[in-house]
Amino acid sequence: MVSLDLAELSVRDANTQLRKLGEAGENIEVLNPDARHHIGVGLTAPVDVMVNGSAGYFCAGLTDQARFTVTHNVGWGVGDNMYSGSVVVGGNAGAIPGVAIRGAEIVIKGNMGSRAGQVMKAGTLCCVGNANFMAGYMMYGGRIIILGDSGERLGEDMSSGEIFVAGKVQDLGSDAMLTDISQSEVDSLCEFLDRYEIKAPKSFSKVVNAGTKLRYGTPEQPMRSIPFSSFSGTSSYWNPKVQEDVVIKSQSGRYRIRGYGGARPLPHLSDIGFRKDLQNAGSDRNVVNSVEMATEIGGINGARPLKLSMPVMIAPMSYGALSRSTKYAIAMGSAMSGIAENTGEGGMSDAQRDAAGQLIFQCLGGRLGWNIHDMRRADALEIYISQGAKPGLGGQLMAKKVTPELAEIRGIPSGIDLRSPSRHPDILGADDLVIKVEEFREATGYEVPVSVKLGAGRIRDDIKIASKDGFDFVELDGMQGSTGAGSAEVIDNVGIPTLSAIIEAIEALEEIGAREKIQLVLMGGLRDGVDAVKALCLGADAVAFGTSVIVAGGCISCMQCHVGQCVTGIATQDPEHEKRYKPEIEASNIHRFLESVRWQIAALTDALGYSDVKNLSRDDLVALTPEAADITGLPYEPAAGPSAMREKGINV
Amino acid sequence: MCGIAGVMYRGSENFGTGEALIRMLDGCQHRGPDSTGFALYSPEPSGQLKLRFFIDPVVTVDVDGAIASIRARLLDLGATIEEEAKPGDNYRVMIRYTGDVQKLSYEMEHAAKVISIGTSLEIVKDVGTAHDVDDRYQVNQFSGTHGLGHVRLATESDVKPEASHPFWATGFADVAIVHNGQITNYWKMRRRLEQRGFEFTTDNDSELIAVYLADKMAQGIELKEALASSIDDLDGTFSFLVSTEDEIGYAKDRLAAKPMIMYEDDDLVAIASEEVSLNRLFPGRALNTREPAPGSFATWSRSI
Ligand SMILES: Cc1cc2nc3c(=O)[nH]c(=O)nc-3n(C[C@H](O)[C@H](O)[C@H](O)COP(=O)(O)O)c2cc1C
Repeated sequence: MVSLDLAELSVRDANTQLRKLGEAGENIEVLNPDARHHIGVGLTAPVDVMVNGSAGYFCAGLTDQARFTVTHNVGWGVGDNMYSGSVVVGGNAGAIPGVAIRGAEIVIKGNMGSRAGQVMKAGTLCCVGNANFMAGYMMYGGRIIILGDSGERLGEDMSSGEIFVAGKVQDLGSDAMLTDISQSEVDSLCEFLDRYEIKAPKSFSKVVNAGTKLRYGTPEQPMRSIPFSSFSGTSSYWNPKVQEDVVIKSQSGRYRIRGYGGARPLPHLSDIGFRKDLQNAGSDRNVVNSVEMATEIGGINGARPLKLSMPVMIAPMSYGALSRSTKYAIAMGSAMSGIAENTGEGGMSDAQRDAAGQLIFQCLGGRLGWNIHDMRRADALEIYISQGAKPGLGGQLMAKKVTPELAEIRGIPSGIDLRSPSRHPDILGADDLVIKVEEFREATGYEVPVSVKLGAGRIRDDIKIASKDGFDFVELDGMQGSTGAGSAEVIDNVGIPTLSAIIEAIEALEEIGAREKIQLVLMGGLRDGVDAVKALCLGADAVAFGTSVIVAGGCISCMQCHVGQCVTGIATQDPEHEKRYKPEIEASNIHRFLESVRWQIAALTDALGYSDVKNLSRDDLVALTPEAADITGLPYEPAAGPSAMREKGINV
Repeated sequence: MCGIAGVMYRGSENFGTGEALIRMLDGCQHRGPDSTGFALYSPEPSGQLKLRFFIDPVVTVDVDGAIASIRARLLDLGATIEEEAKPGDNYRVMIRYTGDVQKLSYEMEHAAKVISIGTSLEIVKDVGTAHDVDDRYQVNQFSGTHGLGHVRLATESDVKPEASHPFWATGFADVAIVHNGQITNYWKMRRRLEQRGFEFTTDNDSELIAVYLADKMAQGIELKEALASSIDDLDGTFSFLVSTEDEIGYAKDRLAAKPMIMYEDDDLVAIASEEVSLNRLFPGRALNTREPAPGSFATWSRSI
């Protein structure tokens, strides 16, 4: 047994040693923990760790195989996302003990805080004392054993798994119900308790999902729907689209879901032009080689940056919304062009990891597919807070797409209408977020960049928080951003346009003198290299493409991504449909599209008089509409031609 | 977007409340690196009223002039000035005053940036960490019976000392608050209080909670009852601590979205956002702490 004394060592140093000792097979004792956060985070060796005293947040978080004992209390999120192994806590646990565990055993000898076992997938969480309210909130599997009483709303919106309570069940949460317990279940509980030397009580109540909310009641009427883009707000007030909507809702009784990008006209990058005469653009056939485009993202705080061959990346898109073959094709295409791919929600596959040159691993509130092993092989980590298409909403994956294979990697039951949580269990404010970021850094030895995906709403505040919470870069997404599935109400009515987002973000960072402290990747309705250059001029460090990459890879823009019957094999999990998709061919198409983007960026940069994309500037732009001028503060020049400008005495 | 802390010593000797709060806030500084503040209560009110003003060194060209005009205003209002000092960017003055404190507060709010008014309360707050603020204002010298503390992450343009916490209940002597969370029915509640003649000096929801509670207490309602009704009346997420001359209390919203943890023994009660702060008072010792239940509240008073 080796001792690590936190009265002398920082948690970061102690964790580094802990991991080394773990690899060497040494058991470890941690002294003077004094409720510090992140003790043991990222340990993946089958060793014993004894924490002598109380631990803070995320004790034993993001670990696998290790067996922890904490003699006293733990803070929020003990055993966060643990794969296997165990934690025995001698005292009380704060909120969300066992959050998102995927197979570990967690035993709390005292009481446990609220929302115990939130979004857990497998494993056992056992509390000898009482559980605070909403234990089992949104759990997807595994079991919770409460030997004392359970607080209000037990099992709120659980979709699977079991909760056993020996004491009083105060009340049940939405979609939870009491059911009979079998003898074999009792035996299994007794075996578990016996193993941890806990006296088994006489009887248990058993709570499971009641099955009233797992699937939408009435399916949406199948009909040849009118594309949302056909009517987009400028059309007459009661247009056929509105009527169609009312008819469908009169049958289903709920909001409608759709995929694809924004469908209403908003001020956008197309309302901005270049100030200078660009007639020479493209005359140099070798322009791609003469303009410096290599861009590093994420290295600002000392992590190993993403090295992009041009200031472009792929927007996060989930395996789930998209088929495995599509994610594979995008991974290949991005690697061919030397840029980064992003997993989006729903985990990482080996094929995708191997094909992508650089891969960002995204973490969402449901922690679907999130785990320490894939974090370790990612090139960057990203915390999703929201996205431009649907700020404040979680992902939606209709039952048709929740196949056994997909359910397995996400750790959820198959065949449910999956509505991912819109919030993280452990991020309820900027103050919690900072502790979460630190946990990710501890788990990966401070080596990879950590980013945040933000849908633009109150971006002025959000971006300041992102910078103060120590993120390396922000993926900033405007209202024109697309989605695999979202409610039409939110897609077209919530958020602010991409153009406003970048302007506000940069102003906000400048206000607090932090422009150099964080990098900005802009997305949301960017279509090509021209949009990219405008975004770079406005101050983005890089841009990301979602829709245009899918379209390049075969999407026919029917806007039915959510249905799961995608005829091109892109937005589907049906093997019959997916067969039509040829990943190698589509990868080359995506690659060629990305190379056209490269050429556009190079040609425009060159024509604007620069040899490096980093020199692109706001001064190169004019606004073509009064709104765009108002949003950006650029001069309003409807006839942006250089001659018109010369007439006005503007130097070009 | 912050961390909070509170401590009350039960006995009556001289305690290091300032030092205790510095340690607790240093323990949770990661929750709010921008500014730090303390609400400190001296053991025995001297019958004087203590006022602290913030004199912004950036916009105030003539500091002495600004102080002179505060003095003049105080004299106008019938106060007798007994002691004065200029710690950091503050002007601190002890007065004797027999009139209506609420009227005095509003008048002074109109004339200058008041940080706190109380017979026993003094608020010390500024940009920087707990140690920065201590260096500037010698918080460690405070030895009262109880106090509150706050660390803040700011999103406004520049981090302003006057926007730091704790807040005092504008108009009500000796009531201070630290709060973590967001009151969503802020404007509705504020308009209700404004209609009854109360004034607000910031748009901060913490100030609102303080005034809300102080108003109840001014009507003769016990702090404990005021806290009970605050849980019904306030919407959103909150964990807050409130203090008066001889009590501290907490309330926590029903969703329990904001953390709070407490420790109690024969000598003291300490409450904080995170246990790591409590442990700073007892290094090397594992504590028997308790997490307050959602929708709960409690008070402690000095006499017990
Ligand atoms: C099929 C699909 C799936 C998506 N999945 C995710 C996701 O898992 N996580 C995320 O942050 N954004 C997701 N998005 C949103 C995109 O990352 C991004 O915000 C948007 O696509 C950018 O705008 P663009 O498509 O107009 O380029 C998805 C978008 C699509 C089209």
